[in-house]
Amino acid sequence: MGVVKDFISGIYNLLLGLKVTGLRLPEKSVTLQYPDEKWEMPERSRGIVVLLSDKETGELNCTACMLCMRACPTAAIQIERDKNEKGKWYAKAFTVDNTICCFCGLCEDACNFDAIKLATYYENSVYNQSELVWDKDKLQEMGRDVPYTPKRPKKKAAAKPAPKPAPKPAEGSDAGAPDKPKPAEDAKPQQAASDKPSEKAEANTDKKEPDNKPAEPKAEDKPSDAGSDKDDTGSDDTGQDKKNEK
Amino acid sequence: MELHGIFEYFGSLIDKIGLPGFWEFLVDNTLIAAVLLGVLSVMALFLVWWERKVSAHMQDRLGPMRTGWHGVLQTLADGMKLLQKEDITPTGVDRGVFFWAPVIVFATTFLAYVPIPWGEKLIPADLNIGILYILAITTFTVIALLMAGWGSNNKWALLGGMRSAAQIISYEVPLTLSIMGVLIFAESLSMQSIVKSQAGFFDWYVFRQPLGFLIFLVASTAEVNRTPFDLPEAEQELVAGFNVEYSGMKFAMFFLAEFLNMFTASAIAVTLFFGGWNGPLLPSWVWFLGKTLVIVFILMWFRWTYPRLRVDHLMEFAWKWLLPLAFLNLILTGIGVYLWDALVGK
Repeated sequence: MGVVKDFISGIYNLLLGLKVTGLRLPEKSVTLQYPDEKWEMPERSRGIVVLLSDKETGELNCTACMLCMRACPTAAIQIERDKNEKGKWYAKAFTVDNTICCFCGLCEDACNFDAIKLATYYENSVYNQSELVWDKDKLQEMGRDVPYTPKRPKKKAAAKPAPKPAPKPAEGSDAGAPDKPKPAEDAKPQQAASDKPSEKAEANTDKKEPDNKPAEPKAEDKPSDAGSDKDDTGSDDTGQDKKNEK
Repeated sequence: MELHGIFEYFGSLIDKIGLPGFWEFLVDNTLIAAVLLGVLSVMALFLVWWERKVSAHMQDRLGPMRTGWHGVLQTLADGMKLLQKEDITPTGVDRGVFFWAPVIVFATTFLAYVPIPWGEKLIPADLNIGILYILAITTFTVIALLMAGWGSNNKWALLGGMRSAAQIISYEVPLTLSIMGVLIFAESLSMQSIVKSQAGFFDWYVFRQPLGFLIFLVASTAEVNRTPFDLPEAEQELVAGFNVEYSGMKFAMFFLAEFLNMFTASAIAVTLFFGGWNGPLLPSWVWFLGKTLVIVFILMWFRWTYPRLRVDHLMEFAWKWLLPLAFLNLILTGIGVYLWDALVGK
């Protein structure tokens, strides 16, 4: 009796369907009531672009190397740079036009100094488009409390100059190198202790590791160097520059 | 009930004024109709909200949450919006037919509640042909839907109306036959006597007529045009079906009538198969409402589980499966009752 068998299996399958939806009914909804509840965005999410500051000194990490500006496919980033009294480059003006930013994250990849990052902020509705063009102060303000994983251990701590603008050496590593041994030791003591042998070299670029470093620091550096692959993609030109200069 | 007090008050008032007895009848029935209309409107609003909530939670969503507690006032807000909308009459429509279709839909839905017992003494009118009256009056819906489809002068609407006519006429047959089994046991067409004949839990006719109940459930789902039998308003094919040209309050009438039809079908199922308002402890109307809402929930459950049938499958199912099964059920019930009477005695 194929018909009877079909009939019974049909009823069974109908009940099976009811079971599926019925079991869904008491489950907790995944919907969040958006303006009241929000998703916790992961650290690496691609929200709006911000400028990161040094946690202790409160200064921008930016060295005005212009790599992010060059990497930006939509030309959303505009930088004007200048040299400070110590002869180091710093960003005089740093503008991100969020109306044309495509949140691709290439600027973050290009940056060698943990200076620019896509933050978790994503609410870009404004009444006037011009409110979306963020200047340096706004970008710094938005990046003030953004947590980030440093792309490299901060051994320049020992080598970092105190002065206001971009404390780290950019392409102008000629200026950066001599400055290094100066102050700021107190800023990052924990890393400085372990990384002493490599401090100068490391501050410039980790590209040099293979050629001229002793074995021990290399071993130490690698595990902490989470972002080194990123560096490679974005920083070829600077890395080369520095090498040549050295 | 307290309603009796109101009726007596109006009766004495009319006596005082000196109007003929006909006026008392008129006032009383107007009151009943008003109360019923109020209850049903609130019920329709509630059902729309409930359906949205059930569907949402079956899909792990939340549904309306903003208007009132968990969005309970959402349908009220929607209704207010529809009231404010322009009442558009497209050019080329058959004006009379177009205008009266939603009125008839709502009126027939409303009229079907005349013999439905809400409680022990809570029934607008205990007609002695109760269930037959309901079957007759609900069939009017098909005429109204056909009117809407034809009058709209729109191909989608016409298709929806035609499908609705074909579907309701087809499923009317097994629906009626499935009710016959109950009537054999109850030996009455009056809704109150049907309810009274299933006083105890095991007297519920669903235990004597399980097949009859299944056929009734399926056929009534088709009757009220609900998924998986919602071909007359299949959104993916027909835009919206027969009501595609309607806007504002006329559309709302179709919409509310659809949900009230679902409630009607559930109320009939409860009355016929689940002992109506019978139940211990709680007041009878609570039992009636509770049972009805359970059936309504099952219909909603169907809707958010099953995909829509194809037209030819729909017809095949009605004529090749439900109809023979309904006949089988009727014949078996008849033979069973006859043998029981002959062997065991009444």
